[in-house]
Amino acid sequence: MERLLTLENVNVSYVNKDKKVYAVKNAGFSINKGDSLGVVGESGSGKSTLAMALLRLHDESRTEITGKALFEGKNLLELTQEEMNALRWKDISVVFQKAMNSLSPVHRISEQVEDIYRVHEPHASKKEIEERMIYLLKLVNLPERVYRLYPHEMSGGMLQRTAIAVSLLHSPKLIIFDEATTALDVVTQGQILEEVVQMEQEISMTRIMITHDMSVVAASCNKVAVMYAGEFMEIGYVKDIFKNPMHPYTKGLLNSFPSLKGENETLHAIPGFLPDLSKPEPGCVFASRCPQASERCRREKPACQELKDGRQIACWLYQGGETHE
Amino acid sequence: MNKENHTPFVSVKDVAMWYPYHGKRQQKGEKDWIKAVDGVSIEIEHGEILGVIGESGCGKSTLGKILTRLENPTRGDCLIDGVSTKEMIKKDAKKFRSTVQIVFQNPFDTFTPRDTIEKILLRPLKNYSIGTDNEDRRRICIEALEAGGLRPAEDILKRFPHELSGGQLQRISIIRSMFLNPGFIVADEPVSMLDVSVRADIINMLIELSKSKDAAVMFISHDIALTRYISDNIAVMYLGRIVEYGSADEVVKSPMHPYTQALISNCASIDPEDKQETISIEGEPPTPLNPGPGCYFAPRCYMACEECYKRYPEPVVSETGHWAACARIGENGK
Repeated sequence: MERLLTLENVNVSYVNKDKKVYAVKNAGFSINKGDSLGVVGESGSGKSTLAMALLRLHDESRTEITGKALFEGKNLLELTQEEMNALRWKDISVVFQKAMNSLSPVHRISEQVEDIYRVHEPHASKKEIEERMIYLLKLVNLPERVYRLYPHEMSGGMLQRTAIAVSLLHSPKLIIFDEATTALDVVTQGQILEEVVQMEQEISMTRIMITHDMSVVAASCNKVAVMYAGEFMEIGYVKDIFKNPMHPYTKGLLNSFPSLKGENETLHAIPGFLPDLSKPEPGCVFASRCPQASERCRREKPACQELKDGRQIACWLYQGGETHE
Repeated sequence: MNKENHTPFVSVKDVAMWYPYHGKRQQKGEKDWIKAVDGVSIEIEHGEILGVIGESGCGKSTLGKILTRLENPTRGDCLIDGVSTKEMIKKDAKKFRSTVQIVFQNPFDTFTPRDTIEKILLRPLKNYSIGTDNEDRRRICIEALEAGGLRPAEDILKRFPHELSGGQLQRISIIRSMFLNPGFIVADEPVSMLDVSVRADIINMLIELSKSKDAAVMFISHDIALTRYISDNIAVMYLGRIVEYGSADEVVKSPMHPYTQALISNCASIDPEDKQETISIEGEPPTPLNPGPGCYFAPRCYMACEECYKRYPEPVVSETGHWAACARIGENGK
């Protein structure tokens, strides 16, 4: 399979006058073409920070970004804004949580779509753009008339679908959903997830799905990356990790979600709080909340290791590729 | 159960909440109604947790507000221990407030930002003359906070709401609602604003408090898996009406109403093998502006027939007390 995006040692920190907050540390993973990767974690674990860094949407005077993010051989973190603009919408696009806020309230959808389309194809005719957009609207199960509406004339679910359709305008190679279905109703969320999965089978699309809801990942992704306090704890295939979570944090997260139809097991919260990200600790970031933490965990940071089933894990319990129970 | 001579603890009788609607096309004096809640009857026993689920705009929160009398229903009444809440609040509002409490969705908006937690927690105790003096009341607060897992309690009492996390605030909100030993608590989406890792704590705390104090709880949520976990019984609402009611396991595992079936099939599960054929329902929920006369769900229902558009279906009850209001139950194998 062909690699689309490879991250190596990506660090993002927010710099203040007297403080530096290490929001993402040593992030490294790769995505193949056609993959759908779910990034999960609590709020404040750096999921969105990482996505914003890949899209270069951070205020660069206040953030420090180091490392490599190779997208088809180009390092996204070193491109100039002009070079980045050439990629946006065309190769990489993003859908945010509140579609309400990402569409202009004073323009019809048609006007906004024409603007976006002409960034990359300045000579496209109105008719051509309309045809393309209507095709996409049908893909997300919306009627044609949406093209002529203003955002306030639509419901939240319709807006979110429109935002997804707009993000597909130039058939991007990579699309990032930043909590794109979180604000929606159960039924609407279920429908949109299903549409997205179906769409992927029709058009080749690679997707990063940022969410805090494990069930969304289970329903719509094939890979999952679990993030905590800016670091990746466990990365692997959904079918492996959900069935057999290995990292204590992944176990904790899965334990705090009730199953829909299975046995009613007691829910357990993860005790404690996120560590202060401005004061990095020498050991594992999760050690202070981990039920299985040892002295070593507090002292030394475990490296990310690859196990037999292809999963990567950063935990002393599994060092050396062996599985201790 | 001998229903004849047994008065349920909370009993809601044909409650409706209609809001007047003034549309563009209306003549002067003409009025339309938004029927947010339209004829809901339900019973909750001591120590029972009733889950209410439905899409947004189905009237679940309005129902909670009626039960706590933050809204006065257009029609119907709810009885607590056989006494009408309408009479209760007229005669002795203070006593009513100590019987019925509510926990709101957003813990950041629940507290006065300018008061310390101590001041916030002491106020209800003072108002209801619980404890002999301030020292004694402080002791009660500290005990309650520690029992709720908030340590060090002395330190938390000194803080302002903005200095605490959402999970801590929501715990304080629940602790405060339990101070007056209410018999009935309405929890309106108490965890939807909280982080996943602390949700379980709040939920377990609610279950424990309800069981130890034998309080009835109405748990309003749109998260079906969570509602099933916490509740004894579940009521499914659609456009202001309860369409299905039964024990939590039965409703989730073998739903009778096509709406519940669709709702559950669209709900993402954390078990990737739980994937099932989703039943799609067309469109968004319509506004509850003069729906009917038939089944409100008929326009979006995959098995609606002519009959469904004519009159609102009567509930069909199974032996276990699980019921659903649908004219086509028994067909299609359901």
